[in-house]
Amino acid sequence: MSYQKPIPLKTQDNQPYWDAADRHELVLQKCETCNSYNHPPGPACSKCGSTELSWESQGSAITGTIYSYVVSYRPFLPGFQDDLPTIIVVVQLDNLKEVKIIGNVLACPPEEVKIGMPVKMTWQDITEDRALPQWIQA
Amino acid sequence: MATIKDRYAIVGVGESERSKNSGRTPLHLALDAARAALKDAGLEAREIDGFMSYSENDSCTSHQLATYLGARPKYVKDIMGGGSSTEMLIADAIGLIETGQVNTVLIYRAMNGRSGVRMGGGGWDVNMLQGAMDGGSFFIPYGAGGPGQWFGLFATRHMQQTGLTHEHLGHVCVSFYEHAQRNPKAFFYGKPLSMEEYLKTPSLSYPFNKHDFCLESDEANAIIVTSAEKAKDCKSRPVYIMGIEARRTVSHAHYWTNLDEVASDFVAPSLYKKAGVTPQDIQVASIYDCFSWVVLRQLEAYGFAARGEVGDFVASGNLKMGGKLPTNTAGGMLSEGYTHGMNNVLEIVRQIRHEYKGTDRQVENCEIGICTGWSGPDIAGAMILRN
Ligand SMILES: [Zn+2]
Repeated sequence: MSYQKPIPLKTQDNQPYWDAADRHELVLQKCETCNSYNHPPGPACSKCGSTELSWESQGSAITGTIYSYVVSYRPFLPGFQDDLPTIIVVVQLDNLKEVKIIGNVLACPPEEVKIGMPVKMTWQDITEDRALPQWIQA
Repeated sequence: MATIKDRYAIVGVGESERSKNSGRTPLHLALDAARAALKDAGLEAREIDGFMSYSENDSCTSHQLATYLGARPKYVKDIMGGGSSTEMLIADAIGLIETGQVNTVLIYRAMNGRSGVRMGGGGWDVNMLQGAMDGGSFFIPYGAGGPGQWFGLFATRHMQQTGLTHEHLGHVCVSFYEHAQRNPKAFFYGKPLSMEEYLKTPSLSYPFNKHDFCLESDEANAIIVTSAEKAKDCKSRPVYIMGIEARRTVSHAHYWTNLDEVASDFVAPSLYKKAGVTPQDIQVASIYDCFSWVVLRQLEAYGFAARGEVGDFVASGNLKMGGKLPTNTAGGMLSEGYTHGMNNVLEIVRQIRHEYKGTDRQVENCEIGICTGWSGPDIAGAMILRN
């Protein structure tokens, strides 16, 4: 059966991130002017407005801790009705604490999820050529 | 630069009927609300020379409203926006009046919030959503498609850090539902909520259950703002604006990079400074309540209870009639109606006018009130009003 949930839209501003995700790799947008990381990426640095931006690979061994979460018992979007409850998390990266990435924690009972829980990134192959960064308990 | 303190007033408030399925266009609802506000102020439509509204592309235009009131205003303005827009437009109106461009401004919000475009999510085109929302592709594919989830991410962390419990959220809901029982126009009039019932209601989007969400309604509200001088000619008892302040912080896509800070934190100090009062002087409140938790976070931001003590503050009944800060006394957006905050403005104006005098709805001797608007962590507006 084909993938029913929303597939990340590649845009002028985010394509390198999602292209890397398809390769099971995390790349982040970095500002050359103020040296901060910009996530989600954009047309300019969200901290200083600079357009001197580059992309930096973080590789494929990504760990973090849960910064916050919600547990969704209703599908607010199509495609989620078959795997409720959905755990939606904000993960703070261990190596780059300023970067927070939203995702789901997969295969985790809702009563186990808590702030501070260690997680690691995994990539879910959702179509033949697309992959979605996700999280599992570390 | 001149201070605006006490030099401008809200002189008229009015609303349309409230329902879940109006069967009428937002323009019809807006006309009803505008006519009610005009009647309240004792003004003719042709005396309004500025019309302003906010919407999420779900309303009629100020031009249309003015046209069908038979008015010929100098100025019309429609902005995209939700909560906090009332305060921003009042500030705009004051600026226009101060510089002599207009005299009296009518501000409205009209929407079929239940039968038309719903804010609560569901049924949206996901690709449209990803494109329409800044950074949408970084949260929509994960099922974070509604305000209950976005605010929930703030709430979970704040609750964990400050010791707020689910029961504390419940005190906000139970207090506001209690107010709604005295307001025959409230949606949940006749539908009280006990703590027991609140606590056994299953989560919809943990930490929220359905009672923590504001309701959705079809309705329009309008308010009329003018100078203190012109207010003397109005039929109503003016409610003076002591101070007004708004602030925009981070953009939508960057909401979640810092869950510890909200725009209200920045609004509060300058608001109190402008108004020349402290939180201890405030006797009645309308606090933006798209979710129960948002009230708790703002009580902290606006200095009504210290961080970590907000839970005790609400558990002691302080939001109820007779408490330290009777809040959302018509039921608020959680249990009265929903117009992106404007119904809460109408209520605080009526309280400060002592319009309910002699009934159990009136907050005794309230002279100063705060009204906050908040569409999200990115933006906040608030004003302090007096009799
Ligand atoms: Zn920068």
